Amino acid sequence: MDFEPNEEQRAIALAVDNLLAQHAGPARAIELEREGSYDHALAAALTEAGFLGARLSEETGFLEAALVVEAVAKAGGVVSAAAESLVAPGVAGRSLEGPVAIARAGEDAPIRFGDHARTLLLDAGDEARVVILEPDWREPVRSNFMTPLGRIRVPEGAGESLGAGSGSRLRRWWRLALALDCLGALEAALDITVEYVKRRRQFGRAIGSFQAIQHRLAQCAVQVEATRWLCYEAAANGAPEEACAIAAAYATDTAHHVFRETHQLTGAMGYTREHDLHVFSMRLEALRVELGGTAAHRRAITRSRWAS
Amino acid sequence: MEFSWPEDDARFRQALRDFLDETLPDDWEEISRHGPGSDDQSSFSRTFCARLAERGWLTQSWPAAYGGADATPWRHAILSEEMWRCGEPRGSQYMNVNWIGPTIMKYGSEDQKREHLPRISGGDVLWCQGFSEPEAGSDLVSLRTLALRDGDDYVVNGSKIWTSYVNGAELCFLLVRTDPESKRHKGITVLLAPMDAPGVEVREVPAVVGERYFHELFFRDARIPASARLGPEGEGWSVVSYALAYERVGAMRYARAGLTLDALAAAAAERGRLDDPAVQEKLGAARAAVEASRLLSYRVIDLRARGSEPTADTNIARVAGTMCENAVSNLALELFGAEALEYGTFAESYFRLAMTAGVAVGTTEINLNLIASRSLDLPHE
Ligand SMILES: Cc1cc2nc3c(=O)[nH]c(=O)nc-3n(C[C@H](O)[C@H](O)[C@H](O)COP(=O)(O)OP(=O)(O)OC[C@H]3O[C@@H](n4cnc5c(N)ncnc54)[C@H](O)[C@@H]3O)c2cc1C
Repeated sequence: MDFEPNEEQRAIALAVDNLLAQHAGPARAIELEREGSYDHALAAALTEAGFLGARLSEETGFLEAALVVEAVAKAGGVVSAAAESLVAPGVAGRSLEGPVAIARAGEDAPIRFGDHARTLLLDAGDEARVVILEPDWREPVRSNFMTPLGRIRVPEGAGESLGAGSGSRLRRWWRLALALDCLGALEAALDITVEYVKRRRQFGRAIGSFQAIQHRLAQCAVQVEATRWLCYEAAANGAPEEACAIAAAYATDTAHHVFRETHQLTGAMGYTREHDLHVFSMRLEALRVELGGTAAHRRAITRSRWAS
Repeated sequence: MEFSWPEDDARFRQALRDFLDETLPDDWEEISRHGPGSDDQSSFSRTFCARLAERGWLTQSWPAAYGGADATPWRHAILSEEMWRCGEPRGSQYMNVNWIGPTIMKYGSEDQKREHLPRISGGDVLWCQGFSEPEAGSDLVSLRTLALRDGDDYVVNGSKIWTSYVNGAELCFLLVRTDPESKRHKGITVLLAPMDAPGVEVREVPAVVGERYFHELFFRDARIPASARLGPEGEGWSVVSYALAYERVGAMRYARAGLTLDALAAAAAERGRLDDPAVQEKLGAARAAVEASRLLSYRVIDLRARGSEPTADTNIARVAGTMCENAVSNLALELFGAEALEYGTFAESYFRLAMTAGVAVGTTEINLNLIASRSLDLPHE
């Protein structure tokens, strides 16, 4: 047991933060949103540094890959880092050409990166499939949730099967990946709000000095901190089924809680496009409905732990 | 970062479980349902702790100089987890080992060390904690119990309340004010007070949380020898701060909550309700709360293992511990329905144990205050 990053992990975190400071951030996310684009420049920079794809997990480990995914999410990066650096190596054992989207077979709902993805990881029940996408299988979906969405319609039986039982492997990694995407966005949303309430003054004092506000943010901090360790432990231990379902259930429940609280405490300003909060808060809501949402993750915990 | 147990820690846990299997009597489950302060559990703790001491496990976390084995905080955490998990057969003696002993090592005179430490490490002495007063709960430093020096004694007047573990307690770790003019943190002193001193009276405060949980202690011209003072007069607040820092995570509540939840799932399965999506959801949510609490407690142990000063991580862990207890105990009542209303049943006793989590040892609100100021750095008024 050791909860402090080692030297290598610290070095990775520092390097990826430096890179993200140059290439990502909420302003960049807002600009890309307006254009309806994917951040190919950021993806290229991350790839060149060895931070995107299977390389990081192969050379160092999944926890290190998880730290990168968290950092990208915290910087509001518009890249499919979680799918490329965690899910693809975890399920397929190799890098897949990005952007990578993940979807459940037979559902027509919008999916993250659906309009930009080159590769689709398909949850087809017992098996997972890797599908190289044709451009006309994709269609953009307009959305306010600050994450590029699209619909993908793949022909029956398209792509390559990853073998019997690979479906549950995909769901494990998918749950962990979306928990980590939540984690980064949670940290950013909470940081933004804490800074906001320190500066915003009403009734002659900083609103962050009101205990009613302090308690709500402290409660958020407890849940965000728990999300962090649940994610790290699951990643470090190779994504065990129960731990991944727990990470996803806890992270998405926290996502919704933090969405409500941060918007409440930033008043009207938090709803505007000029304020950074929406980049993260809206994404949190998008994440919490993925793969059946909190309720489905919770049922998955129970099936994994107690189903005979 | 590394999230697995080394081989020897895992072996220690197994040895401890084997020992518990051998040592706990057949009716232990029954005994433990009355709560750690009950008559049965208090008297059982004496034989149990003596046997734990024989194995060298009771005070393994103490320095070798005091008969311990310098075990790591992680080892100590395993012991606490396994004990709390099965209903704390050490009774109140976990306090002795966790913080009373270490505080005596730090502040005690040689005589005090000789008098108290061997009894604690032998496992046959019971202590209670006299901090709270009717007018001093969360705001502990407003305490008023007065101890005035008279020759070789202090003469104590005042009262304490909510004191647990008074059954059979020979000693009280008592906070008093020695300077009547003093305010707040200043002028507080610690006495290692014998409970049989003349002028000390105990009265139970009946409560729904269980038998012999709460007591009032009345001091009416009680004479406590000055030799029982721990540390310098008026410096008691430093002593208490040190003691509380040792208490840190306190009870490993998630350990019992986790075991209870497994039993609830088994009960749901027996009743054919494990396929009910609503039940599955609630079990899953509670399980996540248990794991969150476990990891946040581990974070505190990790910081302690590195010798870091106490941080708001302790308060974070405590809030999560209460969330975990609430999730599991709510479910216990929901699953068992009206059956859970009968005193002493499995669900009822867990519910009762869990219901004080947000108040005992510092309330949720106080923990949130400390997280807001220490961790989020939010401004004061
Ligand atoms: C099971 C149990 C065992 C105990 N055992 C012992 C023992 O052995 N020895 C001992 O000395 N004490 C013991 N206590 C007492 C315990 O330490 C106190 O109950 C606790 O510190 C809270 O004090 P209080 O009950 O007076 O509540 P109060 O301090 O009166 O609090 C009441 C409510 O007001 C809130 N509140 C108070 N101050 C603030 C603030 N600044 N901001 C926001 N909200 C605030 C609290 O959070 C709480 O919700 C025990 C308590 C319990 C429940």
